[in-house]
Amino acid sequence: MRAGFVAREVWTGLRRNVTMTLAMILTTAISLVLLGAGILMAKQVDEMKNLYYSNVQVTIFLDQKITSVQKTTLVSELKSQPEIKNFSYETQDQAYKRFKKLFQQNPDIIKGTPKNYIPAAYHVELKNPERYKLVSKAFDGKPGVFKVTADAQVLDKLFTVLNGLRDGAIVVAIVQAVAALLLIANTIQIAAYTRRTETGIMRLVGASRWYVQFPFVVEAALAGLIGAVLAVGGLALTKVFFMDRTLRSLVNSGFLRPLHWHTIWAVTPILGGVGIVLGALAALLTLRLYVRL
Amino acid sequence: MRAAVPTAMDREARSVTVDSSLVIELANVTKIYPATRRPALDGVDVEIEKGEFVFLIGPSGSGKTTLMRLLLKEESPTKGTVTLGGRQLNKMSRWRVPALRRTIGCVFQDFRLLPNRTVRENVSFALEVIGKPRKTINRVVPEVLELVGLSGKSSRLPNELSGGEQQRVAIARAYVNRPLVLLADEPTGNLDPETSQEIMLLLERINRSGTTVMMATHANEIVDSMRRRVIELNMGKLVRDQSRGVYGVGR
Repeated sequence: MRAGFVAREVWTGLRRNVTMTLAMILTTAISLVLLGAGILMAKQVDEMKNLYYSNVQVTIFLDQKITSVQKTTLVSELKSQPEIKNFSYETQDQAYKRFKKLFQQNPDIIKGTPKNYIPAAYHVELKNPERYKLVSKAFDGKPGVFKVTADAQVLDKLFTVLNGLRDGAIVVAIVQAVAALLLIANTIQIAAYTRRTETGIMRLVGASRWYVQFPFVVEAALAGLIGAVLAVGGLALTKVFFMDRTLRSLVNSGFLRPLHWHTIWAVTPILGGVGIVLGALAALLTLRLYVRL
Repeated sequence: MRAAVPTAMDREARSVTVDSSLVIELANVTKIYPATRRPALDGVDVEIEKGEFVFLIGPSGSGKTTLMRLLLKEESPTKGTVTLGGRQLNKMSRWRVPALRRTIGCVFQDFRLLPNRTVRENVSFALEVIGKPRKTINRVVPEVLELVGLSGKSSRLPNELSGGEQQRVAIARAYVNRPLVLLADEPTGNLDPETSQEIMLLLERINRSGTTVMMATHANEIVDSMRRRVIELNMGKLVRDQSRGVYGVGR
């Protein structure tokens, strides 16, 4: 295949219907921005999960009237639980001391809470904090156990919302990708029609099917690539103006993880690849199914 | 181990050895287009040898164009076999068609030049798209432009040329890859008698170089003056096959 020939064909093709080419590039770009945003959000959510859940502890509060036999059983069960990394015992005295320290600004609360309201407890650290439910279920309702709590219920709600946003972005990205696909198909049909004299002669003088179709495929793939470049630009703008500016306080307070440049660069080849494949595939399918070349 | 069923390659090899002097062979060829009842071609037998010059005549709708389309494998016959240059076209797979067409040159009434390319580019195009190296193209294209007498106009665009000159470009493009067969579908249909004569001289010169020429035409003076083989079709049937024939107006 002669590179000069293909380059010339592609260039005239893209130039000949500028508006369609632009539409093709922009739809692809929007689709890829959303896809990139989805991937970045997934990464963000993962990092946040690691950070937040690593501090999650399960606390097993003990019944006032726990017997020493029940206690021994509990300890041996805690030791044999595979999900548990380690655990520590806090006596009622220690717990009450900690309670008083925690609420030293509010003496009323301390006064209104008798010592026996603050139970002794096991503080349990988990191997995989996200699976805290396994552990809390295992010990809830055991003899001698008053109550099992984990400070992760709020996190669960937060991540449900974040995962929903991420999934939403990806769904919209897919819908946009379908739109991009249809637009590319349409553009290629028009391009094939406007170049029917050329392709007719090519077929007549014995150019192979691949030789006839290749410039169209390159044209669409190129549009996909340009779309991907625009999409990466879009993500960069999002970082600079949204993450680093609008959401700066949230990032600084540690609620959100900062979005690094290297994360955006890591997404770049994915978007480029998807853009190129999307374009080339749409073009090939169109040429095979709808255009007689 | 040898398969009992002959492979495609076996058939190919055998058909090549049949008779190398026959360039075109149609055996009992019938073509019926799906939408019509009357056959476009009806049991046509034609054999054309290498280096012949053949006029294909007959009224519009008699099947001339269909016959040419069969030779290019743009269509497949409903019945019968078509052979070109030793290749059996009926069973030819789609990916072999380009190789077939590289052995055929085509010229049309409406020239079919690319309007935004120069004369030289129009001719090179035919070689570029079949992947010929630039070196070969740079050598061959000026030669063929010389042959058709357009050396001085190689940088012109088609709309800057007369009809006769445009048809010369088309002939140059058809001939540049030295085809076995040149198919010309009413090549003088848009030209005045004098220009037509020049085109005929050019086609004759190409024929003398060994290329088989098949020309469909309505131009009776040309057929009568050339005294070459004439194949006449009417309503899809072969009604005359005469060496050194005439058009036969009022016959």
